Amino acid sequence: MLLRASGPTHDRAYDLGAVTGVIDGDGGVPHGSLLVAFAEAVLGDDDVALIRARGAVQKTLGAAGLVDAAGVVGLFNAIDRVADATGIPLEPEKAAASADFRAALDLDRFAVAMRT
Amino acid sequence: MPELYSSSPLPIRDDLLAAHTQAWERIARPGTWWDGTARVAIAAETRQASHSALCRRRKEALSPLAVEGDHDSLGQLPELAVEVVHRVRTDPGRLGESWYRSVIARGLSEEQYVEIVSVIAHVVAIDTMAHGLGLDPLLLPDPEPGVPTRRRPAGAKPGGAWVPWLEPADAIDAEAGIYPSGRPPANIMKAMSLVPDEVRSFFDLVSHQYLPGEVMRDFAHEYRAISHAQIELLAARVSALNQCLY
Repeated sequence: MLLRASGPTHDRAYDLGAVTGVIDGDGGVPHGSLLVAFAEAVLGDDDVALIRARGAVQKTLGAAGLVDAAGVVGLFNAIDRVADATGIPLEPEKAAASADFRAALDLDRFAVAMRT
Repeated sequence: MPELYSSSPLPIRDDLLAAHTQAWERIARPGTWWDGTARVAIAAETRQASHSALCRRRKEALSPLAVEGDHDSLGQLPELAVEVVHRVRTDPGRLGESWYRSVIARGLSEEQYVEIVSVIAHVVAIDTMAHGLGLDPLLLPDPEPGVPTRRRPAGAKPGGAWVPWLEPADAIDAEAGIYPSGRPPANIMKAMSLVPDEVRSFFDLVSHQYLPGEVMRDFAHEYRAISHAQIELLAARVSALNQCLY
């Protein structure tokens, strides 16, 4: 939801389909497709794809950008486990604010939504 | 403990290095409900889970509960703790409240469960980053002696999650600082509040590996080598891949 919230500051509207893979491309985020490919490769099993994605991020965003990107991927891979393992609900205000794109992108199929 | 990332060809920020060093040292120390030996064993089992044939078969099954068997564990933890570590590590999107209740009914305390989840989260955050960067996983620390403090927040009670949590109004001095001041904490902050030290430790990692809470919504300024929008796209894509709505 912070992706959507950050858009107006920079007069941008991001296409959240990039989050779920509904669309190819950047979703309006600079180098978004590179970053999506990197996240997918880190969580995937294809070592060659990861080497390729890592190299592309470093070449485009620099070594510091690569470190920060890997840090975010790692952190959210952990946060998701905390959320799922403790059964926390989505806060009412976040649920209301995200209802439209959750429906449009069929996000409510995810297990946590079913439990809340 | 040797300096982490000393052989890394990539520039690990000083604050991130310090946060990882602190998190790693803390895993080795006695916690609130598990001692240092058990906490390091939980960290080791978190890594072992990725190689578990049972977890792989369950992950591929329509329902994980349809596949029975024994975990390929390191043998350092009670079987119930191993079950929690492996399920949370390998298939978190399909955990259910009935599974959680069954774990508690079989003898793991709610506090022990929360601390296990926290140790897993620390290890996953750090290991996944290393994997993304092509670095070897950090060597696990040597356990430190001592006994757990075994202190449960007196104000913790059932809330909106499976696990009991601590509302800000119920926190006393011993729980000071686990929540931000001036705004209500997100549920993800309350999730592990049954063990306050784990909230402090994990959200210190959050501040350095993602962003500090006070700048998460400061979209007019950038604090990392990638922008807010790029950070949030990564975060959202990871959560989608993990099938985690939160």
